[in-house]
This record gives sequence, structure tokens and C-alpha cells, in this order.
Amino acid sequence: MKIKITSIIVLIILAIVSLIYLFPIYWTLVTALKNSLQIFTYPPIFFPTKITLSNFYTPGNVFGAVSQTAVGSIPWMIDSTIVAIIATLLSTILIAAPAAYSLVRYIKSIWFGRLILFMTMIPEAVFVVPFFLIVAKINLLNTWWGLIIVYISFTAPFATWLLMGFFNDIPKSVEEAAQIDGLSPFQIFYKISLRLVTPGIIAALVLNFISCWNELLYALVITYSPFPSGAQTVPIFLTSFIIVEKSFAWGGLAAAGIFTMLPTIILGIFAQKYLARGLTMGAVKG
Amino acid sequence: MSEVIIENVTKKFGKNVVLDNINLKIDAKEFFVLLGPSGSGKTTLLRLIAGLEEITSGSIYIGGRKVNNMSPKERNVAMVFQNYALYPHMNVYENIALPLKVRHLSDDQVREKVKSISAVLHIEDILDKKPGQISGGQQQRVALARALVRDPSVFLLDEPLSNLDAKLRVEARVFLKKLQKEVGITTIFVTHDQAEALTMATKIAVLNKGVITQVGDPYELYRRPNDIFTAGFVGSPAMNMMRGKIRRSYSGSGWMFVNDDISLDLNGIEPNGEEREIFMGIRPEHIKLVESGSGGIDSTVFAVEPLGSVTYITVNVGKTQLILQHLGEIKLDVGSSIKIQLDLNSLLFYDVTSGKRLSTN
Repeated sequence: MKIKITSIIVLIILAIVSLIYLFPIYWTLVTALKNSLQIFTYPPIFFPTKITLSNFYTPGNVFGAVSQTAVGSIPWMIDSTIVAIIATLLSTILIAAPAAYSLVRYIKSIWFGRLILFMTMIPEAVFVVPFFLIVAKINLLNTWWGLIIVYISFTAPFATWLLMGFFNDIPKSVEEAAQIDGLSPFQIFYKISLRLVTPGIIAALVLNFISCWNELLYALVITYSPFPSGAQTVPIFLTSFIIVEKSFAWGGLAAAGIFTMLPTIILGIFAQKYLARGLTMGAVKG
Repeated sequence: MSEVIIENVTKKFGKNVVLDNINLKIDAKEFFVLLGPSGSGKTTLLRLIAGLEEITSGSIYIGGRKVNNMSPKERNVAMVFQNYALYPHMNVYENIALPLKVRHLSDDQVREKVKSISAVLHIEDILDKKPGQISGGQQQRVALARALVRDPSVFLLDEPLSNLDAKLRVEARVFLKKLQKEVGITTIFVTHDQAEALTMATKIAVLNKGVITQVGDPYELYRRPNDIFTAGFVGSPAMNMMRGKIRRSYSGSGWMFVNDDISLDLNGIEPNGEEREIFMGIRPEHIKLVESGSGGIDSTVFAVEPLGSVTYITVNVGKTQLILQHLGEIKLDVGSSIKIQLDLNSLLFYDVTSGKRLSTN
């Protein structure tokens, strides 16, 4: 009997926590499906009986002003997708994986790992001006590569730290067996060790993609127009809903929010089990 | 020829001396066992031969070539690890094939060799399975196949039987010994299990704390252990050790052994050297129960361990405790008095300070 009570309590707590996390998404979805009248009604409507899709493709009309639509987000989506994919792939596979492997197997210093972890904790604002100056100097402002370079600066250390835990878990004897079988150090890394940390790589790829996708501060500073002339990303697009004749275009914002949330949600669902391992791995190691 | 010579090899980790001036000669095709407790340095020595660790000083020769600076690949050795170290993401075929692929053999050659070694080791039916899907015994045979598929000059095994359950271990011992003879490869086998060493080895080197205490074939090591460590380590149950003095007997002729509990006439056995403090050793199978009335030493039964074919009886002679082996079954009450007799010809004497065996006439 005792067991049943604790598991019920746990279930209730989990339900409450899930509600807290999921409610904002639900509210955004519901708002996206309401017309402006319903949005401003008080008390708030939690379960609308009438829904509309106009927020997704019709320019919103708030207090007489015209705002963007969800579908209008596509140029920004293109920028975000390209920048996020390239930055994530380069930082995770080209930089983080070899770095993590050599740190774990060759350099073997705990302090280096801790230093890298520390780097991921530094607030973005610290680097905004330096990054702007650097990117401007090399003439990459408002370009994909300008953003990609900046994004690699925070995705690479994070992925390195995450992968260090995974590489550490590989029993040394497997790599020694490969050594005796005649593989060169690079072959051991590429054919054996890298294959054995796939969950970690996927976790790193997904988490990095999401952080690139959601990144606002650096993008604001480094870009000023969307595809095809520039490289403005989705978070910037969403800010255009903020000031519309001294008010928020709630409906349009919600719709755009849902629309631009989709890639990351889909990724997250796909990589669910890898993410769980990836995050708890990080918590135990470090 | 693939003999292995270890010459004055010392290995230090920082200031810690793990192996101290080891000298060994392992003949071609020998089944050579490195036997010792944990921390004795036996695995380190194996890894030095493999090339996974660097030698601090000294040299190792394989097949006449000095291999100190050669990578494991160049040494052409093969190794089976305690946890088998199979590649978890590859199936059995790919595991065995990898060392051949690395040496750029053609796909056909690879297939032929993998098939033939799989037949020898009876693993043809699991070639498509992954290591996680097969049993411990099968994993071990895959590890053996991977090692042997490329005809290495030396075959190194690091406690490969410790992960098997007891029954499988006994079967694997016989299997390995036969396999080694069939393939005819120089084999160096590391273990802490003296039973494994005695049953499988053609020659054994006993290591203790980084030093070799004795090298010899199983019979030598069992019958004439040269020092007290080896005497206590080889053989199960362990040899009985009694501390006391050897001295000339009171009558003047012959010697005797004396301690607080026992006074034993040695009857013609003469240890070389002067009277001194020693450890006297005797194996359980050399102590007999005798009928009362015919001499012998009085003792009290402390414990009885029936094993079916044999019974181990632990007795107390004063403060000294001895184990004797009795063939067959016997009913004895704990606390009862019995008489025991020691086979004088099987006694071994060890100097207390040096630990070395005294020879006898």
C-alpha cells in the first residue's frame, strides 16, 4: 500500500510540472487560433469554441496597423535553418568530437575539461561587442558565415564537454584491442570510438541546433536583413510582432511562434531518447 | 621462431616500482603462465610484452627481434583481454575481420580466414550477431578468434577465464589448452588462479610484488616451492605452515622440530644449515589420521568440510591449526580428539628471515 501512495504523489507532481512546462505552448497554440477579439477578452478563453487560421497567413490587423504573418517567416526560416545546420555540424563533428577525444585519451587533464565547461557558462552579452567588431572587420556582417562563426564559438565548447563524458565511458581495453589489431590512432578514433558515442553526438547535434535556432542577441547585432540579401534569423522575425502601433500583434506573434517552433519540436521528438542520455550524462560527469 | 625473452626489465609508474629487474625466457610454442596475486605486476608485464606500456629499463625480444620501440602492430602479437574488449558496434564477423582488413587483405581472403577460424572455435552460427547478443562463453571464443585469425607470433591472454562461471571455466581451461597445442603458438597467460596455472601451463612464473619468486613446471612448483610465498600461494587448500625451531634432537643423532605445541622427531631428515627459526610446511594430503594407540600427534577437530570425494578436516594442535585431506567421507564431531601423523618425507622447511627453502638430505 505504501508503494502505491508514493507513486501516486509522484504522478501528481509530474503532472503539475508537465502542465507548467506545456501550458505556455498550449496557450501560444490557442492564441494563434483565436481572432483578435477573443484574444483580448477577459476572463481569458482557455478552450475556444471558434477557431481561425487567419493569423497564419493573413496580415494581422491590430488597431489599424498591418503586421507580418506566420507564413511570411519563410525567408528568416531559411537563414535560421542554414546557419543552424552548418554551425551545428561543423562545431559538433569537425571540432568537438576530435577535441573531446584527444582531451580524454591524450591530454587527460580534468582541468581542461572544467575550463571548457566554464566557457559555456559565460553570458552572451560579454562577447557581443567583440564578436561584432571581429565579424565586421572580416566583412561578414549580415552573412551566413558571419553568424556561423559566432555560433561555433558557443556550440563547440558545449558539444566538447558533452562528448568528453561519452568518450570517457568507452572502456580503454576496446581501444587497446584495436591498437593491437593494428589500427592507427586516427583509425581507432574514426572506426571505433566515434561510432561508440553516437548517442552523445546526436544529443550534441540536437541541443546545439536548438540553441542556434533560438539565438537572438548575436543575430540582432550581426545581421540586419533577411534572406536573400542578408542573414536575419527567426527570433529576429518574431520581434517584429512586438511593436505594432504601440501594441503587440498577439495573434500573428502566436501563429509565427508556433510555425517557427515546429523544426525544433520535431527534432526534439525524434531525438528524445538520445537527449535523455545526453543530459543526464552531463550531470553525472563534469 | 617466436620465443620471448625478457631481459632485466623494470617498470616504474612515477616513483612506484611495479616490476623489478625481471628476467624470463619463454620458449616457442610454450604455454607459459604468469601467476600472482593482484598487484603483483603480472598484467603490467603482459602489457609491456604487448607494447601497450613503455618499458622503463631493460629489453624485450620477440622471435629474436628487440621490440622495445615497436608498436603493438609491428610486434605481431595478439591479445585477449579480461573483458574480451570486442567492438560492440560490429557483428562477430566484422570483429574477427577487422585485423585482416587493416592489413589490406582482399575480401575473399578475409572471408576464407574468418570462416576457417570460426570453424575451429565453433562460432560459425553467430557470425551475424553483435557482441551484446551472445553469451559470455561465445564472446570469449570470438575474442580468441579475433586474436588468432592473423597468425600472430605470440598469443597473450589477460585473465580471460575470470568472467566465466565456474562450470564454464573448467570447460574453457581444457578447451584452451587443447587449442593452444593444436595451433602451436607461443602463449603467455596471466592469472591469479593457481588452479588454472597448474592445469594449463607447461611452465609457470610466480610473481609477487613485482619480483619473480620462482619459475618452473607445475610439478616443480607444487612439490618444491622455493620460497614461502610460492609455497603458500600454489595449491589449494594452502600448505600448512608451522613456525618453530629446528634443532638437533636431545639424543644427539638426527634433528627435530619444536614449537610451543609440537615436538616432532625428523627421523633421518637433515635440513642443511644450523639450528634456526623456520617455517615448516606440509600439504594437507600429506597429513593422515591415525588410529589411537599408534603414536601420532594429539589434536582437536575444529572444522569438517565434506566435498564428496574428499573431506578437509581442520584440527587444532594447541594454538597451531592444520588442515588435512582425508579421501572419501568421514564422520567426525567438532571438538572431538583425534590423532594425526605427518609424512616426514613431504616436509618443507623455510628460513624465517629470507623465506627461502632449506634443502634437505
